[in-house]
Amino acid sequence: MEATTQSTAPKRTVACTTCYMCACRCGIKVHLQDGKLRYIEGNRDHPINRGVLCGKGSAGIMTAVSPARLSNPLRRTGPRGSGQFEAISWDEALRIATDRLARIRATDPNRLALYTGRDQSQALTSYFAQMFGTINYAAHGGFCSVDMAAAGLYSVGGSFWEFGEPDWEHARLFLLFGVAEDHDSNPIKLGLGKLKDRGAKIISINPVRTGYSAIADEFVAITPGTDGLLIFALIHCLLDAGKIDTEFLIRYTNAHHLVVDAPGDPLHGLFARDPAGFELCFDRTAGALRAARALGTDPALNGVFTLPDGHRARPAFALLAERYADPQYAPEAVASRCGIDAGTIRRIAAELAEVAFNQPVVLQQAWTDTDGHRHASMTGRPVAMHAMRGVSAHSNGFHTCRAIHVLQMLLGAIDTPGSWRYKSPFPRQIPGGPAPGRARVPGGPLDGSPLGFPRGPEDLLVDEAGEALRLDRAFSWEAPLAVHGLMHMAIARAYEAGPDRIDTLFLFMSNMAWNSAMNPGETTRMLSACDAAGNYRIPFVIVADAFASETVAYADLVLPDTTYLERYDCISLLDRPIGSAHGPADAIRIPVLRPDRDVRPFQDVLIDLAGRLGLPEFATGTGVPLYSSYADYMVRHERRPGIGPLAGFRGKDGQAIGVGAPNPRQLDRYIKNGSFWQHELPAEQLYFKHANRAYLAGAKAMGLLESDDQIVLQLYCEPLQRFRLAAEGHGSRRPPERLRARISRFFDPLPIWYQPLEQAMTDRAKFPLYAITQRPMAMYHSWGSHNAWLRQILPENRIYLHRDLAVQLGIRDEDWVWVRSRNGNLKCRARTMSGVNRDTVWTWNAIGKRTGAWALAHDAPEFRRGFLLNHLISEYLPDRPGQAADSNSDPITGQAAWFDLTVSIEPCEPNTPDETSPRPAANPLRVRRTAEGTL
Amino acid sequence: MKPAASVLLLTTATGFGFGLLAWLGAYCAVGFLPTHARLFVAAGVGISLALISLGLGASVFHLERKERAWRAFSQWRSSWLSREGIAGVLSYPVAIAFALALWRDEPPLWTRLLGVVLVLVSLGTVYCTAMIYASLKPIRQWHNAHTAADYLIYAVFSGAVLYALLNTVAHGTAGTVASVAAVTSAGIALLAKRAYWRHIDAQAPLATLAAAIGMPGGAEARALDAPHFTENFVLRQMGFSIARRHAKKLRRIALAIGFALPLACSVLAGCALLPLATASLAVLCAGGGLLLERWLFFAEATHVAAVYYGRKI
Amino acid sequence: MTMLPERPAGAKRLGLVIDLDTCVGCHACAVNCKEWNTGGEAAILPDYDKHGPEPDGVWFNRIHSYETNSGGCSRTVNFPRSCLHCEDALCVTVCPTGASYKRVEDGIVLVDTDKCIGCQLCSWACPYGARELDENAGVMRKCTLCIDRIYDEKLPPAEREPACVATCPSRARHFGDLADPDSEVSKLVEARGGVDLLAGLGYRPTNKYLPPRRATIPTPPVQPATASGKGLSAALLGLLDKALSR
Ligand SMILES: Nc1nc2c(c(=O)[nH]1)N[C@H]1C(S)=C(S)[C@@H](COP(=O)(O)OP(=O)(O)OC[C@H]3O[C@@H](n4cnc5c(=O)[nH]c(N)nc54)[C@H](O)[C@@H]3O)O[C@H]1N2
Ligand SMILES: Nc1nc2c(c(=O)[nH]1)N[C@H]1C(S)=C(S)[C@@H](COP(=O)(O)OP(=O)(O)OC[C@H]3O[C@@H](n4cnc5c(=O)[nH]c(N)nc54)[C@H](O)[C@@H]3O)O[C@H]1N2
Ligand code: SF4
Ligand code: SF4
Ligand code: SF4
Ligand code: SF4
Ligand code: SF4
Ligand SMILES: [Mo]
Repeated sequence: MEATTQSTAPKRTVACTTCYMCACRCGIKVHLQDGKLRYIEGNRDHPINRGVLCGKGSAGIMTAVSPARLSNPLRRTGPRGSGQFEAISWDEALRIATDRLARIRATDPNRLALYTGRDQSQALTSYFAQMFGTINYAAHGGFCSVDMAAAGLYSVGGSFWEFGEPDWEHARLFLLFGVAEDHDSNPIKLGLGKLKDRGAKIISINPVRTGYSAIADEFVAITPGTDGLLIFALIHCLLDAGKIDTEFLIRYTNAHHLVVDAPGDPLHGLFARDPAGFELCFDRTAGALRAARALGTDPALNGVFTLPDGHRARPAFALLAERYADPQYAPEAVASRCGIDAGTIRRIAAELAEVAFNQPVVLQQAWTDTDGHRHASMTGRPVAMHAMRGVSAHSNGFHTCRAIHVLQMLLGAIDTPGSWRYKSPFPRQIPGGPAPGRARVPGGPLDGSPLGFPRGPEDLLVDEAGEALRLDRAFSWEAPLAVHGLMHMAIARAYEAGPDRIDTLFLFMSNMAWNSAMNPGETTRMLSACDAAGNYRIPFVIVADAFASETVAYADLVLPDTTYLERYDCISLLDRPIGSAHGPADAIRIPVLRPDRDVRPFQDVLIDLAGRLGLPEFATGTGVPLYSSYADYMVRHERRPGIGPLAGFRGKDGQAIGVGAPNPRQLDRYIKNGSFWQHELPAEQLYFKHANRAYLAGAKAMGLLESDDQIVLQLYCEPLQRFRLAAEGHGSRRPPERLRARISRFFDPLPIWYQPLEQAMTDRAKFPLYAITQRPMAMYHSWGSHNAWLRQILPENRIYLHRDLAVQLGIRDEDWVWVRSRNGNLKCRARTMSGVNRDTVWTWNAIGKRTGAWALAHDAPEFRRGFLLNHLISEYLPDRPGQAADSNSDPITGQAAWFDLTVSIEPCEPNTPDETSPRPAANPLRVRRTAEGTL
Repeated sequence: MKPAASVLLLTTATGFGFGLLAWLGAYCAVGFLPTHARLFVAAGVGISLALISLGLGASVFHLERKERAWRAFSQWRSSWLSREGIAGVLSYPVAIAFALALWRDEPPLWTRLLGVVLVLVSLGTVYCTAMIYASLKPIRQWHNAHTAADYLIYAVFSGAVLYALLNTVAHGTAGTVASVAAVTSAGIALLAKRAYWRHIDAQAPLATLAAAIGMPGGAEARALDAPHFTENFVLRQMGFSIARRHAKKLRRIALAIGFALPLACSVLAGCALLPLATASLAVLCAGGGLLLERWLFFAEATHVAAVYYGRKI
Repeated sequence: MTMLPERPAGAKRLGLVIDLDTCVGCHACAVNCKEWNTGGEAAILPDYDKHGPEPDGVWFNRIHSYETNSGGCSRTVNFPRSCLHCEDALCVTVCPTGASYKRVEDGIVLVDTDKCIGCQLCSWACPYGARELDENAGVMRKCTLCIDRIYDEKLPPAEREPACVATCPSRARHFGDLADPDSEVSKLVEARGGVDLLAGLGYRPTNKYLPPRRATIPTPPVQPATASGKGLSAALLGLLDKALSR
């Protein structure tokens, strides 16, 4: 399809599509002259980026001509990891894959493990897995920020990450917890600019002062892993001062819901319910128990009440207040652990209270809530918060993130003018979706998506003994709420489990043998490990990638993808859409360049494979493929009647939004519209979406929600208590003995703080420093290094440390140093700074490359001086005598705990060679062209 | 600043050439030239022009687009480089006319007048060269009163020792006047160089990093990350720096070889002690020493732009 | 040409205003500049050793980061550095060929690469390190203030701004006429105390930098709770006692 529109200049054409130099999904205008790329600029009409373009996006041209692009399907010829391949035809590649997958599917579909990175077609890949019938599917969330997703979706029905945003137009105080860049790269930068314009105050809570933190009005150099304590101290101060939005709490949260207080009883800690199952509260005016959602009540937030069954019960808020009013959470009590002085904490608490309660934002906009109350205006608390991996990459991240949501709720600052807001299609009913699929009839699909939202022990994927069914042990007692799976454990677990459990590891768009491995040395060893007979322990590895990454070298079969300018893509509401607080939106990518290599869009290939395998929904009952390409699928596939990958321009006439019959001309309509679709919500629906009748009804009509009931925010997270009760011996599904104490400890329905697991198990005298990484703004993980412009900015990295610490250790700028952890030793160069927590060292993520990868010269700085901190991390916690090591993850969500690392650092011996260590041997891609191989 | 070989050669060689021309012109003007010195003058002018050509050739070599060198004569109204080019080129006809006039025994009025013009055009060219550097405000070690004066002094000095050598070759002795000139100019050059170093050592940097990035007065700043990891044009050109320790040593060597030794040799030559050898040594030392001095002139010069990279300026 | 033009009083001074209070140091402006100037009308901006050990190239705009300490308060400052289109541009007057020139009509300083001999003197004359040699073509290059955008009548008026300004995600870059006291940029400079870099050198740069500032929220800190220690504070109990209505 010719997807370009004529511009004013002769021979110059401009096409609108969507950037994919990172996962932010900005709209771009691609200028071509005589079919050659000339310029890429931001699309000024696009809701995400409003015309701006970041450094990566601006360097797209150099990616399109990168020598690291793969050019043929490849079959391994040398040993795994050697990088020796022969080029094969697509027919052959697809035949190999189809034969293998068909055999697996006929025996045990779970022997296929499909893991995908930050692609934007998880709605397709997970559907493929579901139709294939394997439970072993996950995307990158588990090693990324599932803590944020889970904590948010179980608490407020939305989340930080890229699914919520501060009200940039009205916020007066903005708290940014642990964010260097985030997926919302350009929206956050645009937003910060707006806050600055209005003179709003930005407080960055972060051990490192770079990037966003550099422009913050206040920088709080927190000790890694202690945000929970800081938030509790803030809550403590607010409680103390009586600065709580009680109106907000009783209207929109479960603060007044009564919690059974009967230790030892199977109902302990659960909500008191009436016979119809509705939660109860105590109505002070009536002096009686009433349904918590009933109108005309005066619910108690404090006190002890007796239930008809004789149990005592207390409002959830009372439990919360009691917990955080405790002196152990006074600023003075947490100050030294957080590395923040108590006065600062008290001042920030006072500022929160001042802005929330003395400077409310009132918008003259009437709206009606789900209780039928008509409100003349929208009053909001202009305190906004945002948090990301500084919180989530710790093993206490789930609770810390929940603590932030609790703080927001106490301030009445959820989706109000000036506060944090949901981006459409959020909010969702809590906890966010159905339970994970588990069952299938032979040859049929899984009965649900492989990833889902457990509500209690009954939804776990465990066997009789309570052990995990999934390869990565998601949804087991080891990680019950692992709603995104544990991608970081996939290779290690496949290696552990051996060929009986997993036959084929199918990896798409993730560099799992390098920068997304928690321990690249071990991971590559496991990928190439053999049994006594010389067979690989992981029998078959398929990698779908566009570039010569480190992981490609470990594939048996390589499916070469196109670049983002050469294919259709769909940024769908079913997946990770581009919706904003202003309304739902989605987008497409269109091919603006014709590939000059023998590559195919991965999505086309997956749909082709699904057709060849005759998967339900991808092929007719008689095995005839249903879709000719991804573009075809985007238009014709219906997940539920009337709901497909794209929400815009549906129906025969293209007028329907959200729900409507497939429109054969849908893609044309998108292209005419700049390759995106956006529905602007009416002003009445812009805030209080969780309880906004008009919004919820509209969202339901559009197919965004199943129900238009109020979404009650969960100050108290009851599902956690269900797991805890099981650990305490209640119910039929209980955790294995070894995990009981752990479940009981961590599944607290109110946020708790604990020292990150790895830190607590490490000898801190030996490894006294915290070590973390940050995203550099001008690099996207490993994909930037082959880009001739971006690599000029950051071809190598340094370990940064505080100047005082450096002086103490005798380290000067650019010195070579040894960084040591319990897992190994790393040699790199140091740089000193003052804007960093004194006990913390850090570096840019994913700059170091493995010699030979990415088509770089053998002596490239990426190999010689660039390094990965990952060499010091491990996917396992330290061993405990007589026990298999646990994964180095959040015990609730399975989130990879990248930032729990502790290290020591010392100068290298003089005259040490100018080269990083460890530096694994080179494995450059060497492709033998078969006779018919084309180039 | 990066000391480029071509520029070092240019300034040193033209210094000798124009210095010698200036002396020839000056002696002629005041009637100190021996009568019937046509061969002597022709040789002197020839050597000068050869040196000047060597220098100017090197400077063209320094250009990235040599084929466009002619364009450099166009901007004499503002550019010292343009003026240097014009003056330099102008010096050829003047010098040749001068030599011819003496060859043909033109009337003294003419030759003396030509001598004056030759002095002016020679020293004028040296001045233009000096002003190229002296006019560069971002480089404090150059943008000062010393630069132009020093270039002139070194040209006069190098011309003087060369003249003395020429005299020795032609007449077996350097001669009192030429020796006194060589000794005196060497002495002055030595003092000038020391004064220059004292001056630049006492200078304050042109700016602090904090001021360079527009921070309010009293602020301090420190470079955290440079825009790019690898060296770039600006750093290669303007970021060159030399360790202080190193510079001190080189300064002493330059003073000794470039000025003290020529001075001593010139005294010896003046006293007719192995005159050919001592006069030659004076020239060789002056040449080597001035090259080293010139190298230091660049290497010790700091460009204010380097402050953005956290370098000392 | 190399003489600075006689510019009538009030003549336009087109330039940039860069807000150091908002710049997050993302390099977007630098890369987009590179992209525009490589794909645009002029000759490409070269890169050397693209995939080798010493990657390098010509950039018109480079982003530094610094740590500063003023008034006892330390912060990190990101600092984009490009040509400031000086009024008294020594880079122009030193040029022997007339290749460097300053436009009469708007004050933009440009290099005519057809005339340049690559003597590099102009780069020495620039205190800001804003000029870089194109080592492939042997000519000097510098920021053009996107002259091929700002006057391009084929572009919609809103897009007639420099590429770096259009692309800056935090909107830290502004473009306009600094000679016009009523322009948005002049007002911004006025309101925010915009500064000339290295003013003492006397180049009278057109571009201005807005220094970082610091928003505060005046409020007395919350005092530690009085005595009682355990239990809920009187303030909270008072709050919880109030009637509520659902
Ligand atoms: N340019 C660019 N953009 C990207 C990416 C990229 O690679 N490059 N990657 C994308 C991906 S996959 C993701 S997941 C997002 C992640 O985006 P971010 O959430 O911004 O992730 P990080 O860069 O890891 O930043 C984590 C921040 O948390 C801080 N931090 C570490 N520990 C703590 C702590 O205990 N408390 C607090 N308060 N702060 C802490 C670190 O100093 C760092 O600033 O970015 C996305 N966007
Ligand atoms: N130390 C440390 N490690 C970390 C993190 C950290 O903060 N610190 N962050 C973690 C997080 S949050 C994440 S998300 C991971 C990210 O880590 P990865 O998911 O491994 O990310 P990339 O390195 O970008 O790998 C993506 C792969 O996709 C390929 N690719 C790029 N474009 C395309 C395309 O168009 N099609 C196809 N088929 N392939 C393409 C690239 O070549 C590359 O091989 O890293 C994790 N690792
Ligand atoms: S943030 Fe940058 S790289 Fe990411 S999509 Fe937007 S323009 Fe592209
Ligand atoms: S910044 Fe430098 S290049 Fe630009 S006008 Fe000023 S002196 Fe010339
Ligand atoms: S390099 Fe070119 S523009 Fe610069 S001074 Fe020389 S001739 Fe002029
Ligand atoms: S104005 Fe244009 S040329 Fe100058 S820095 Fe900005 S983008 Fe580059
Ligand atoms: S694009 Fe804007 S925020 Fe980014 S470095 Fe340039 S000026 Fe700063
Ligand atoms: Mo991520």
